[in-house]
Amino acid sequence: MRKDVVSIKGVAGGIYLNVEGNDLGQIKTELESKMKTASNFFKGSKFLGVRGEDLTEENRVEIMLLLKYKYDFEIQIEKVPDHVVKDNYEPVKEMIAAEPEVVQEGMTKFVHGTLRSGQEVSYNGNIVVIGDVNPGALLKAKGNIVVLGSLRGVAQAGIGGNRHAVVAAYSLLPTQLRIADYIVRPPEDDIQYKYPEIARVVDGAVVIEPYLPNK
Amino acid sequence: MAKDKMGTAIVITSGKGGVGKTTTSANIGTGLAILGYSVVVLDADIGLRNLDVVMGLENRIVYDIVDVVEKNCKLKQALIKDKRYEKLYLLPAAQTKDKTAVKPEQMVELVGELKKTHDYIIIDSPAGIEQGFQYSIAGADRGIIVTTPEISAVRDADRVIGILEANELHDPQLIINRIRPDMVKRGDMMNMDDIIDILAIDLIGIVPDDESIVISTNKGEPVVMDEKALAGKAYRNIVRRITGEEVELLNLEENDESKFSKVLKLIFGK
Repeated sequence: MRKDVVSIKGVAGGIYLNVEGNDLGQIKTELESKMKTASNFFKGSKFLGVRGEDLTEENRVEIMLLLKYKYDFEIQIEKVPDHVVKDNYEPVKEMIAAEPEVVQEGMTKFVHGTLRSGQEVSYNGNIVVIGDVNPGALLKAKGNIVVLGSLRGVAQAGIGGNRHAVVAAYSLLPTQLRIADYIVRPPEDDIQYKYPEIARVVDGAVVIEPYLPNK
Repeated sequence: MAKDKMGTAIVITSGKGGVGKTTTSANIGTGLAILGYSVVVLDADIGLRNLDVVMGLENRIVYDIVDVVEKNCKLKQALIKDKRYEKLYLLPAAQTKDKTAVKPEQMVELVGELKKTHDYIIIDSPAGIEQGFQYSIAGADRGIIVTTPEISAVRDADRVIGILEANELHDPQLIINRIRPDMVKRGDMMNMDDIIDILAIDLIGIVPDDESIVISTNKGEPVVMDEKALAGKAYRNIVRRITGEEVELLNLEENDESKFSKVLKLIFGK
């Protein structure tokens, strides 16, 4: 079976595009069909770059531009890092089942007590607050945020672009909520819900739902 | 007071300006003196002094706190004896200097000196969280936070509580001032429970919005001396709680006047 000219590879740091040969026309066609089936999935992940041994610099740049402007990829690094080139990696279809690492597992910081106005907690992982978060307090997490109390301050989850991060609280009443690059304000209504709620990104928007589907 | 027992220094602070710190300081100080304790009320709002005005002692100021700190006079010389109560003293702020004139260490030393000879030192802190606030809390053993039932005041109070806790001044107590029960009833004003829910500290008292306070301030007679004013009663209760007594919270809705007018209506059928 003929090997794919374009393949998308996943590694620990994100994903990158692997290109065989230098036939720009063929590359573009295959990219088109690949993006049709799986483009939404890749948007949450960090894109590392384009790798191709036979690829000319001109063509590489062309492909990068295509990815950025036609397919809305967030291109951060120009060159694929060395360790990526050397590593072994899983094929793409296995990645579709798995969620980005940090929101399934990952380092968590536990904060005991109430966070008062003017206080800030930043962490390169998940944050759990066993207490309240008062207005004027700020939580910044690369992963998820969970508050075992009232969240009334500002919570920023998924810093770095992780749209799978969630914000959950017993009483979700933030002045502002941010997940990855989404920023939302609470609704104008004053309805208090009697159960814990969780905010997550669904179909390109932030939705607030009860913590369990049947509540 | 017993020679071996040190006094207690309480800082009255809020973050927000205009919520009633100075009024509270004057009334708590006077109230404690009425009960027989030896009290110094200390105005830490250098440059914007008004504790002296509220206590009616502005004409008697010779030396102030900056004079003491700069060693221009002895501490005793700067203390002004109250005109009504024997064991009540005022240490006034300086009006011609500003808050850079005093350092936290100097306050700690000064308050320490006062604690040797008095039961209570009430420190009236300035608004804000900058230098003036910093040296006010430096010498304190306890803190009382004053807030009004307004979101902005509560927000600032929350910030200040966080700073107090960070400075090892734990378990401050709360006074909610200028409550208007009619507005609370209508839902136009935050109620006690909402405020305590956010601030999460113990309540030491509530004070109603009372015209008597305006009158008493202008006269230089703290309202705690006024037997008839509801605010006076509120402060007297707070003072008793400070000394450790358990006192029921004031019912702000019914006061003597409204009972009287109810009786009138009954008699005259109006």
